[in-house]
Amino acid sequence: MKRNEIMEKIKAGFPGADAEPRFSNQIHAAVPAAQITGFITYLKQMDFKHLVNITCVDWIEENQFEVVYNVWSYEHHIHITVKSVIDRTKPELQSISSLWPAAQVYEQEIHEMFGVVFLGNPDLGPLFLHNWLDLPPLRKDFNAEEYSGAAYGFVETDTAEATCIVPMEEN
Amino acid sequence: MSEMLTVSRQDIMDGRYERVLDWFRSRSMWMLYYCTGCGAIELPPTMTSRFDMERFGIGPMATPRQADILLITGYISVKTLKRVVRTYDQMPEPKWVVGFGSCPINGGIYWNSYATINHLEKYIPIDLSIAGCMPRPQAVLSGLTRLMEQVKKGEAVGYKKYKMNYDWYKKNQDEVLYRTEPVLGGSHEAE
Repeated sequence: MKRNEIMEKIKAGFPGADAEPRFSNQIHAAVPAAQITGFITYLKQMDFKHLVNITCVDWIEENQFEVVYNVWSYEHHIHITVKSVIDRTKPELQSISSLWPAAQVYEQEIHEMFGVVFLGNPDLGPLFLHNWLDLPPLRKDFNAEEYSGAAYGFVETDTAEATCIVPMEEN
Repeated sequence: MSEMLTVSRQDIMDGRYERVLDWFRSRSMWMLYYCTGCGAIELPPTMTSRFDMERFGIGPMATPRQADILLITGYISVKTLKRVVRTYDQMPEPKWVVGFGSCPINGGIYWNSYATINHLEKYIPIDLSIAGCMPRPQAVLSGLTRLMEQVKKGEAVGYKKYKMNYDWYKKNQDEVLYRTEPVLGGSHEAE
């Protein structure tokens, strides 16, 4: 299938979705959050069998999270970026881990780093962070510099004032 | 024929021959690399024929149980810190730690990262730091020969400091590794 045919099929199957061409072989699609699982299933049935990755963007001024799925078709040589916007105060989205087992760990990571809850994902436990109790660290309202200073000690930027932090008298 | 010097095991345990032992120790050091960050790439040229670390009597060692030097070559995340502390605790005395690059000193370019610690010396004692991001093999060898001199003079006493101030180090380790409440106060409602 050519790119135009794929976009027509997308518009026919999901009138609520917004698909636009991008570069020479890509499609950019924005889908309502409620339809995300159906939309991705629809793409997978159209031979978009490779889930490249899942990631998330925090649009704090719009109070939104944008979950981004990238899929690729070896048949059509087309890359589709699917974006779905969810409310930042109630970040919930259906999981697609039943379609690709690899999606499970991407969703687990997004849950850890942004706090997005993927309904139906079997394991949303801690993945990379050690004993993390604060806000998810990749949220824009998380202050990494303040956290680093409070948790691991502030770094002196003025060398004249830098002092030794190890007790010296026992030398 | 003059009388041979006899040294008993007790003499050595009492530390009566430390100066002689330090001389020997400084000339045969086995190094364990904890290659956490990008700095590990400077070690192959340091070890192999171009710079040839072995001409100073420093060789690579596979396990902490047989190593003398622990070389930390980069940034240390909290998860890594747990392993570093365990590795250090497993090493038999005398043992020395060399911090390689900026990251173990003050966090380097990761000084404001939520995941990496900033001052390694708060958690284990560092005998010598090799500054730079990253230090070249010449700097590594310069640092290691400096460490040899310190060991020979008996000045590299980080492991003694660790034992004497164990409570202080342990408190710092536990504060990071076994946190019980959020650092910034805000709570995260995990599902």
